[in-house]
Amino acid sequence: MTDSAIALTLLAGLAAVLGTNGGIGGATLLVPALVAFGLEPTAAAPLGLVAVGGASLAAASRQLRRHLVHHRLGLTVELPAAAAAVTAALVSTDLPEQLLAGILAAAALVGAVSGFTRQGVRNRPDPTFVEESTGEWPGTLGGSYELDGEVVPYQARRVGPGLFAAAVAGAVAGLSGVGGGFLKTPTLSELMHVPVRVAAATTSFTLGITASAGLAVFAGQGRIETEPAAAVLVGAIVGGSIGAVLQGRLAPPIARRVTATLLLVVAVVVVVRAW
Amino acid sequence: MVTPDPKRGRFDAASRRLREATVAVGVLAALSLVVPGDSARILAVLALLILGLVPLVRLAWLGLRWARRGDRRFAWLPAAILGVVAVGFLVSLR
Repeated sequence: MTDSAIALTLLAGLAAVLGTNGGIGGATLLVPALVAFGLEPTAAAPLGLVAVGGASLAAASRQLRRHLVHHRLGLTVELPAAAAAVTAALVSTDLPEQLLAGILAAAALVGAVSGFTRQGVRNRPDPTFVEESTGEWPGTLGGSYELDGEVVPYQARRVGPGLFAAAVAGAVAGLSGVGGGFLKTPTLSELMHVPVRVAAATTSFTLGITASAGLAVFAGQGRIETEPAAAVLVGAIVGGSIGAVLQGRLAPPIARRVTATLLLVVAVVVVVRAW
Repeated sequence: MVTPDPKRGRFDAASRRLREATVAVGVLAALSLVVPGDSARILAVLALLILGLVPLVRLAWLGLRWARRGDRRFAWLPAAILGVVAVGFLVSLR
């Protein structure tokens, strides 16, 4: 195992632990960090999507068992996101490195602002749903989930603007490889009024698909190097699993602020290196 | 207090398959970093292949499940997304 593979595994693992706790996904930290360490954005993007796919897979089993994923809502927002991600991944090789670095810096800044500002509880438990089986409701974009022994019903709103925001997140993912979770989760929770736990789990599910779509394109273009990708994958799976366990112990607002601060630093470093 | 939910275990089998896939991908990727030569590349490609295919298989499973249950409003979505992924891959090969 080479020194660079060890460094990549550790970096991807650390990014996944912090990203899972902060609810923004590991690649949002990993890709700008790789660029800050001197890797070209076009080379960092496939590694970012590998990290996204790994962290999504690591969290999938637990989230499915807890009935937190709203598959119908996830796929409704994923259709424009996947189309935008594939288109953006196809054109990303033709874009100047500085533009990609600018997109990454902007993405990291949006993630930082989202981490600093996101708060509050919108959906509350409803005793009339006590007999309700938790999970998504077939044929709708509504559902319910269990919170501290009570059932919380919810219904997605503002579907049109939500689809547009998902397409923007998909385009950012395809261009830069950051996954777009830091845009998708706030889209579902803040714009569409879905509970943040459901939004995070549903986003994690859709990020796996976004990663598959982007990686299929990168594989077709011959842009995936196996050793760095394997190193990132190991780090993302181990880090994502550790992050999921720690998630319940660290207060979410503190975790979000720590991650947001790191994102801010990364955005500044990327901008300084690119210009 | 939530009453016992008869549908609680409906995703348990899928959840187990996902956990097995996670372990398989992690082990294959880790082995690829320690074994020498071409074997490393083969193991890494296998890990990446499983990583890319699992979400797509899950999509297909959801599409079939919803179609069987008559959820026509959403049953077409997985096929449409699989189509987008396939078109992207084919275009990237040109």
